Amino acid sequence: MKKKLFCAALCASLVASMMTGCGQSSGTSSSSTEEQSQGDTQDGESAKDGGAANTTEEGKLVYWSMWEATEPQGQAISQAVEAFTADTGIEVDLQFKGRTGIREGLSPALEAGTAIDLFDEDIDRVNTTWSAYLMDLEELVKASDYESTASQGLIAACREVGGGTLKSIPYQPNVFAFFYNTEIFEAAGVTKAPATWAELLDACEKIKAAGYTPITCDDAYITSMFGFHMSRLVGEPAVEAIVKEGKWDDPAVKKTAEDYAELAAKGYFSETIEGNVWPAGQNSELALGTAAMYLNGSWLPNEVKDIATFKWGCFSYPALEGGVDGVDAANYGAQVFAINKDSKNADSAFQLIEYITKGEYDKVLSELSVGIPADTRNTQWPEMLESVKPVMESMKVRYPWAAGAEANADLTPIIKENFLKLCGGTMSAQEFVDAMASAGK
Amino acid sequence: MTKEKVIKEKWNWKKEMRLLPGYIIVMIWVLFTFLLLGWVAAASFSTTKEIFLGNALKFESGIHFENYVKAWTTSDVSTFFSNSLVYASISCVLLIAICAPAAYVLSRFDFIANKIIQSSFVSAMGVPAVMIVLPLFGLVANWNILNHTFSNRIILIFLYVGINIPYTTIFLLTFFSNLSRTFEEAAAIDGCSPMKTFWKIMLPMAQPGIITVTIFNFINVWNEYFMSLIFANSDKVRSVAVGLYSMINSMKYTGDYAGMFAAVVIVFLPTFILYLFLSEKIIAGVTGGAIKG
Amino acid sequence: MKKNKTMIIAFTAPAVLMFIIVFLYPICRTLAMSFFKIEGVTDDVSKWSFVGISNFIRLFQTKLFLTSMWNMFRIWLVGGILVMCLALLFAVIITSGIRFKSFFRAVIYMPNIVSAVALATMWLQYVYSPKFGLLKSVFATLHLDGLAKIQYLDTTNKFWALLFAYCFGMVGYHMLIFASGIERIGAEYYEAATLDGANKVRQFYYITLPLLKGVIKTNITMWSVSSVAFFVWSQLFSTVTADTATITPMVYMYLQIFGAGNSVTERNAGLGAAIGVLLSICVVIIFWVCNLALKDDDIEF
Repeated sequence: MKKKLFCAALCASLVASMMTGCGQSSGTSSSSTEEQSQGDTQDGESAKDGGAANTTEEGKLVYWSMWEATEPQGQAISQAVEAFTADTGIEVDLQFKGRTGIREGLSPALEAGTAIDLFDEDIDRVNTTWSAYLMDLEELVKASDYESTASQGLIAACREVGGGTLKSIPYQPNVFAFFYNTEIFEAAGVTKAPATWAELLDACEKIKAAGYTPITCDDAYITSMFGFHMSRLVGEPAVEAIVKEGKWDDPAVKKTAEDYAELAAKGYFSETIEGNVWPAGQNSELALGTAAMYLNGSWLPNEVKDIATFKWGCFSYPALEGGVDGVDAANYGAQVFAINKDSKNADSAFQLIEYITKGEYDKVLSELSVGIPADTRNTQWPEMLESVKPVMESMKVRYPWAAGAEANADLTPIIKENFLKLCGGTMSAQEFVDAMASAGK
Repeated sequence: MTKEKVIKEKWNWKKEMRLLPGYIIVMIWVLFTFLLLGWVAAASFSTTKEIFLGNALKFESGIHFENYVKAWTTSDVSTFFSNSLVYASISCVLLIAICAPAAYVLSRFDFIANKIIQSSFVSAMGVPAVMIVLPLFGLVANWNILNHTFSNRIILIFLYVGINIPYTTIFLLTFFSNLSRTFEEAAAIDGCSPMKTFWKIMLPMAQPGIITVTIFNFINVWNEYFMSLIFANSDKVRSVAVGLYSMINSMKYTGDYAGMFAAVVIVFLPTFILYLFLSEKIIAGVTGGAIKG
Repeated sequence: MKKNKTMIIAFTAPAVLMFIIVFLYPICRTLAMSFFKIEGVTDDVSKWSFVGISNFIRLFQTKLFLTSMWNMFRIWLVGGILVMCLALLFAVIITSGIRFKSFFRAVIYMPNIVSAVALATMWLQYVYSPKFGLLKSVFATLHLDGLAKIQYLDTTNKFWALLFAYCFGMVGYHMLIFASGIERIGAEYYEAATLDGANKVRQFYYITLPLLKGVIKTNITMWSVSSVAFFVWSQLFSTVTADTATITPMVYMYLQIFGAGNSVTERNAGLGAAIGVLLSICVVIIFWVCNLALKDDDIEF
């Protein structure tokens, strides 16, 4: 019995020690909490004055951001917001939700009527998934003459996905293209970036002869190669139709498979391409200088800046003989800002958007994140992206992500598996077509 | 207490030889673990370039403490830590206080609702978290309580406890069902009421189970990401998982893998220290003779 | 008996009440949602359209979903056997009276607390790397060139690579549960058995195993719950877009609820809810099968 008592005491003391442990820590933190909650009650009261609890509190802006507070974009935006408050006296409740947080949490929050004035995410997601919550920005844009210093292509893209009217403001533009190591191109004697498929094959031949791997990729981006090639042949809408409706007997599928089987057979792909799990290919092959080319977004140089030391080159996916689309078509886009249609602070929200996407802070954002500036007056692009400028500026036709190859969520993993096998050389072109035909039924 | 025991135990060659196969098997696994986790630790002191060159274990460019400095200073780590410590400790105590009695009753008595309760608890564990958290958020977001720091904290703790109730209860079930009924009978003869018997005798006897589940609960709450992210409405109430995972994410997006590993080590250490502390208690409980009664 | 009644109510009420507050609404809503076509999880009921059981029918006609179920089943069965055997083995060794017991236990458990992001990166970029990977260099030193050449992450091997990496982290967790079960078995059982001349192996079969039935049940339940919830590792082994080798029902559900990868695809939270319902039925079935197969009410100690 003694032992039991002892044990009970021990258990109790454990619980007690934990209690006091948290009592102390909550004690220390509660002092800071009190100050905060005082501030909060005031806010709460003013919210009551403003009317219903769910409506936006007038004056103070609430901004849900897709970035993390600690990443360069987050830091640049924090700076901009701080300066904005100092400048205009408008307070901003800036909440960094991160990509997952905003993707998963924004709809429920908006649905429940949470007071959020503005938010940002990818151009397509904002304009399709959250289209029901967007405010029409045409008048605000007109009033401030926003468009005159914004990228015409991107504004047009925003109008297009917004169903004819402008419901979002683009910033942090990006473009999907081949990025390459100029040092390898020079060493191999490739003087001109490939613009056609024949030129690409020729460049690969020279690079391989010089002892480098011409092309590498990772599992995360491999479907883009398939999508771009198909779209070059038949145009993006046709690719979406093939993927969604299972028209795998389309000759473009066979042609694409044959072209890639040729690349594989000639040894132009990395030997490990079938087993490259992101970021193996981009970091340990491209960035370390053993592979020359990688089809990716313009965020790539920033992602490998700790490793890569070479000068970057960039060219749009080559045109194909007899194909529908040329090099002026690609997946280009941006992150976009949007204002909640129920916001009572639309004017100041737009003011904040302007503050972040124009002039000084657009420059700060571009520099910190090695991104493309949104303000056309900021003509100086980060050095790593200089080669992207002509590519970005030549764009006319806009593809969605992966040029339509990922339009059918039920099929994407199957395309990915078979295309990896095709690039790895473990599957022939005909086998690829057959596999897709049987899966796509 | 353990130390005492080790000193008392004499080096018995015969016994050690009999245990030799066990030593060998465990040593192999431990070495393997050290190699793998050692690589993670080494990577956190290395550079991103060396990691992807395969040279993380070589330290050719020296030891890079700045990864840690960077990870620690880019976000408000100390606030996140104290928040999580409060959330996790309070939740763990509440969980035992609520679930241990329930588990005891469910394991001891047959009543109509017993099977229903057990089934619903188990099925609740199978429902994806997204399906639980998002509808709840839809409800709570309407009430305007997430805008106040204090009520936001209460809601978080309440949810941490609620979400872990099925797990803790189901976990503790077996630990109670295997205890002999003779203890209760003896206590009843001594005139001890069933409730008193539970708190005084049965609960301490299930101690290995309770401490094990507390370790798991603490780590669950400490690492809980999704709910904390959705429900914590300001940086002041955010937990360490959200704060540091956001750091891990941003290191990943900017390609700073060395920094990412440093952030991971920072998240890992407190949980591991807590584990060491609690696991000593298990041993203390066992060697204290609680089991033999 | 009357006393018991008050005790039953007093003891279960807080847990049941908390459970109802937190889970009842979401679970009922999920169940209802599985019969509707809904775009977003939190969409208002007015936006739902009733489709009967066609969500379930559609799931069972979708090749990718069936692949994900098959992957989950393999993780549960093969991984389960592997993890349970290793965990039990280590638990027995650790409680057999070896020295440095708490050290060994701590080290074996350690991988379970390290963030999955770090562990997965470690496996992908270090252990399985086809260039400088641990496996490659070990096999190369042993002159097993065939094994050294294998690409552990290509489409054929990726599933097993994932499974093994995941199991490595889970052994410690289940070992801890086994060990806490074994520690409750009184030393006098083993002392008596040793006096009777029973060796370690016989002691294991005749004392440890039967007395561990309850804990085995807990372990299987917890393993099933984590297999069904298998998500993070799958995502880490196939970033951005899902993979046939690594997709699990939870990943598939995620695609349906939030759209796939970077592309904006059709969303259907009703389909996601149907997956949730199926998964929790799986868990309940496993739980009750275990309860029937491992009846433990006659063993008390």
